[in-house]
Amino acid sequence: MKKEKLKFSSFSNSGKIAILFMILLIFMAIFSPYICPHPYNLPSGSPFESPNRVHWFGTDDLGIDLFSQICYGARISLSVGISTALIAGIGGGILGILAGYYGGIVDKLIMRIVDIMIVLPDLPMMIILGAFFGPSIKNIIFVLAFFSWTGPARIIRSKVLSMKKENYILVAESYGAGFGYLLFKHFIPEILPILMVTIIKLTSKAIVAEAGLAFLGLGDPTSKSWGLILNHAINFRGIYFTDFWKWWVMTPLIAIIFLVLSIAIISRDLEKILNEKL
Amino acid sequence: MNCIKRILEYIIVFFVIISFNFFIPRLMPGDPFTFLSSDEGSVHSSYTDEQIEKYKAYYGLDKPLWEQYKDYVYNLFRGDLGYSIYYNEAVSSIILKRVIWTIGIVVVSIVLSSLLGIFVGAFSAWHRNSAIDKIIYSIMIVFSEIPSFLIAMLLLFGLAAGKGWFPLSGGITVFGEYKNVFEKIKDIVHHGFLPVLALVLSQTGGYYLLSRNSMITVLSKDYMLTASAKGLDDRRIIFRHGLKNAILPVITRIFMNLGSVFGGAILVENVFSYPGIGRLMREAVMVRDYVLMQGIFLNICILVLTMNFLADIVCRKIDPRVE
Repeated sequence: MKKEKLKFSSFSNSGKIAILFMILLIFMAIFSPYICPHPYNLPSGSPFESPNRVHWFGTDDLGIDLFSQICYGARISLSVGISTALIAGIGGGILGILAGYYGGIVDKLIMRIVDIMIVLPDLPMMIILGAFFGPSIKNIIFVLAFFSWTGPARIIRSKVLSMKKENYILVAESYGAGFGYLLFKHFIPEILPILMVTIIKLTSKAIVAEAGLAFLGLGDPTSKSWGLILNHAINFRGIYFTDFWKWWVMTPLIAIIFLVLSIAIISRDLEKILNEKL
Repeated sequence: MNCIKRILEYIIVFFVIISFNFFIPRLMPGDPFTFLSSDEGSVHSSYTDEQIEKYKAYYGLDKPLWEQYKDYVYNLFRGDLGYSIYYNEAVSSIILKRVIWTIGIVVVSIVLSSLLGIFVGAFSAWHRNSAIDKIIYSIMIVFSEIPSFLIAMLLLFGLAAGKGWFPLSGGITVFGEYKNVFEKIKDIVHHGFLPVLALVLSQTGGYYLLSRNSMITVLSKDYMLTASAKGLDDRRIIFRHGLKNAILPVITRIFMNLGSVFGGAILVENVFSYPGIGRLMREAVMVRDYVLMQGIFLNICILVLTMNFLADIVCRKIDPRVE
């Protein structure tokens, strides 16, 4: 395998746009206190202003600026997504490596659990857990991570299994290389790119799942993610009979859709680049 | 032998779900009697110890845990899922009334999206790398990535609230009167159209990609060359020789996807206030009706497990190569 730096130019055109969009979004999320001209939790105008020069995305039923809500919502949605993906990706990756390397009873046990988890319908289970343990960001991240580690575990396991048959690993082993040496010297450098793509994909999944839970009213009421903005908008009585939905529902909706699509495009491109390299 | 192993596996999964259902309320902080006897917001119980003992005995909570578990499983197998506090009705009868709506939209959407995916995929594969294939391919990828409940919201606000072409909520006109059965069916279809469309749009992409890929693989096989060398017409080649082989992975996928489709349906139902069990589940969450929630959860799980099991059998029947 040739070692090459990941270059921006190796992405497709749509991939470049997606990356720029993601950078913009992350920038908005990090610097939201400096970008947003209005507070995200206090009214700054009259209710239901349509998008105008002062309130770029309009205001909601309390007169709170929607652009600020989207900015701060990006913070919450992204941090839920990324932390879930990191926990699930790293946890699943470790289990996958263990299962692949040790085989035998460890492998059997882990894969049996994976089989069980895959069959379970995850959204109903998340709803039950969310309802019982109460809606807080920490619980949501935990529940989401608990249901997403199986994907990376399976992928990493099969990768480790195929690597174990490679000659250079066999040679290293015959020279007495232990698990620790093989792990840091060989497994992790090979696995990392694959794991990265999986984690990026999981991020989008987790953001959507959080939005879904928040939409059902199981989100953390104190942290206004995009899903929660949707939930508020949909629960407003006159939403269907007025034009307010054109900005109140559409802005968070389009934000989520754009985010999901750009992550999908980026991960597709990354996979393609990875495959070419191998 | 292999079959018995699979069945055993499903039984284990089933018991994991039952145990999960049994233990989760018992792991929660607080207990129902403190809740029943205390004033709002306070944790002090106004029941005496004897009263609490009596209640515990009445509900069977004084028995050791494993005996409670045994009773719980026994009741489940008798079809007794408990009693809903909010609806004042047995959980099983509430679910029975609502589940038919969910199964309706899920089944219809699966049938439509898989057929659409298979045929458009085959079409795309036949014309692969042409302009039309590329256009269809990118549209399908975009739709396969957008989750169904977001599509549902776009449809709801675009077509129902904005244009007024479709009803905003419900599965059937409330207090509607119909001259004949056809009008009633028309009304149900009219209400179900958007929920089904949302599910179809989000699922078709996956089936399309699968069908396109496996069709391309099949088309490059030698026997396809033979078929066209024999002078068979295109339609015969595609349908008799190509699709028949390309369709297998799609069928497997249909059954494997069931869990996620039900998940999608739960959210989509809530977007359209469709009266299925997804909607019921949210209602149960809103009023904290835990017994009902668990009943719904258990039912969805059993449904999905059964379907997965069927998938195993069906796949083995139609394709003996699967091991």
